[in-house]
Amino acid sequence: MDNREAKFILNAYRPGGEDASDPLFAEALVQAQRDPVLARWFNESIAFDTAVTEKLCDVAVPADLRENILAGVKVTRPRRWSRPLLNWGIAAALVLMAIGGSLVWHKTRPVALAGWQNNAIGVISTIAQGESKFDFQSHSAPELVSWLATHDAPFAKKIPDRLTGLHSLGCKTFLWNGIPASVICFMRNDGGLVHLVVTTPAAQGNAGTESQPRIASQGGWTTATWRTRDAVYMVALEGSQEQLRSYLL
Amino acid sequence: MSNIDFQQLVDRQYAALYRFALSLAKSEADAADLTQQAFFLWASKGHQLRDRSKAKSWLFTTLYREFLGRRRHEVRFPSVELDEVREEEVAISPNINAFDSATVVQALQEVEEPFRAPLTLFYLEQFSYQEIADMLAVPIGTVMSRLSRGKCLLRQRLLSKEEALGNKVVPFSSKKSGESHG
Repeated sequence: MDNREAKFILNAYRPGGEDASDPLFAEALVQAQRDPVLARWFNESIAFDTAVTEKLCDVAVPADLRENILAGVKVTRPRRWSRPLLNWGIAAALVLMAIGGSLVWHKTRPVALAGWQNNAIGVISTIAQGESKFDFQSHSAPELVSWLATHDAPFAKKIPDRLTGLHSLGCKTFLWNGIPASVICFMRNDGGLVHLVVTTPAAQGNAGTESQPRIASQGGWTTATWRTRDAVYMVALEGSQEQLRSYLL
Repeated sequence: MSNIDFQQLVDRQYAALYRFALSLAKSEADAADLTQQAFFLWASKGHQLRDRSKAKSWLFTTLYREFLGRRRHEVRFPSVELDEVREEEVAISPNINAFDSATVVQALQEVEEPFRAPLTLFYLEQFSYQEIADMLAVPIGTVMSRLSRGKCLLRQRLLSKEEALGNKVVPFSSKKSGESHG
């Protein structure tokens, strides 16, 4: 083994010494002890590697990243505008939501919904306020469902019939206490939005959820929640129970 | 996995994952997004991992694959021909202590991606060549070659920055040392 070969191998040697007993490095390490030129290079290389490690570990991490991960709200995803008509539709709907709906949400936050439901409405609110973006946009709900399925997110095996007749806007994945969930937003005929949230039964914990939709209203929001064998569904909108029921029939 | 376990995993790994993502993605927003996506995928698929002690390498591998997947969709550029990258042994070593972290990261980001990923894994978390090979799904020999070349390239980038830095501070240094400019 010449010094060039030894350097090639020693470049993979970790400066902390974890590889000292790895046979791959044995011969090169012996040579570094014997050859003063190689020894000097090796010492300098270790010092350089240590310094680079220290510098990299000093890189500041965004202050809110941990909280965003734990809250499951991906607030930093860059925009993916690609279809002008769809974009204008989304923009108009979100402006309406931001002006009207989200103000109501912030003044009258739901207090009785389950944790994951509150979190879901919070995520929807961040979309409405432009603080976070859809992960994927499409007017086609099946396309959104397919996207969710291929991205290992919970997805609706069956979308309620009345929702399939609406224009979908986009979908987003999020976590609640480490439990994955997804939401698809639809444009209602009256210009508002209605949302289909899907998560795993783990989100409900020990609290039971019925197979028939259970309707609840609070803070300007109305929700209907039900479960199947492998998923929990929630349809949510800002509006009355009558408005919500019309999307469940 | 319980909520507490998940939170502990986040606490242990999110900073290093973010730094790895930053070296790959070159933008803080994309790096944060990749980090969050890795944890989201863990929440969705992590239960399939039998050996929980491998959660860390699972997260790094997942983040890297997510990065590659997005890059395929977002950018069409010719892949770097590894043999075309010049490898010149750098005789002079840069004084790395003269740089702040941001500059070192910037230099790292300037290294071609095939070298950057193993280099960052090596430096950041001190993964072994074997672990890096597993994560990047490349042979061990390739990892060793990329580490060797990658370090060379990083030194070159840092030396360029040192040169630029040196040029900027020459008048100040000269005065301070009492040298005459004539």
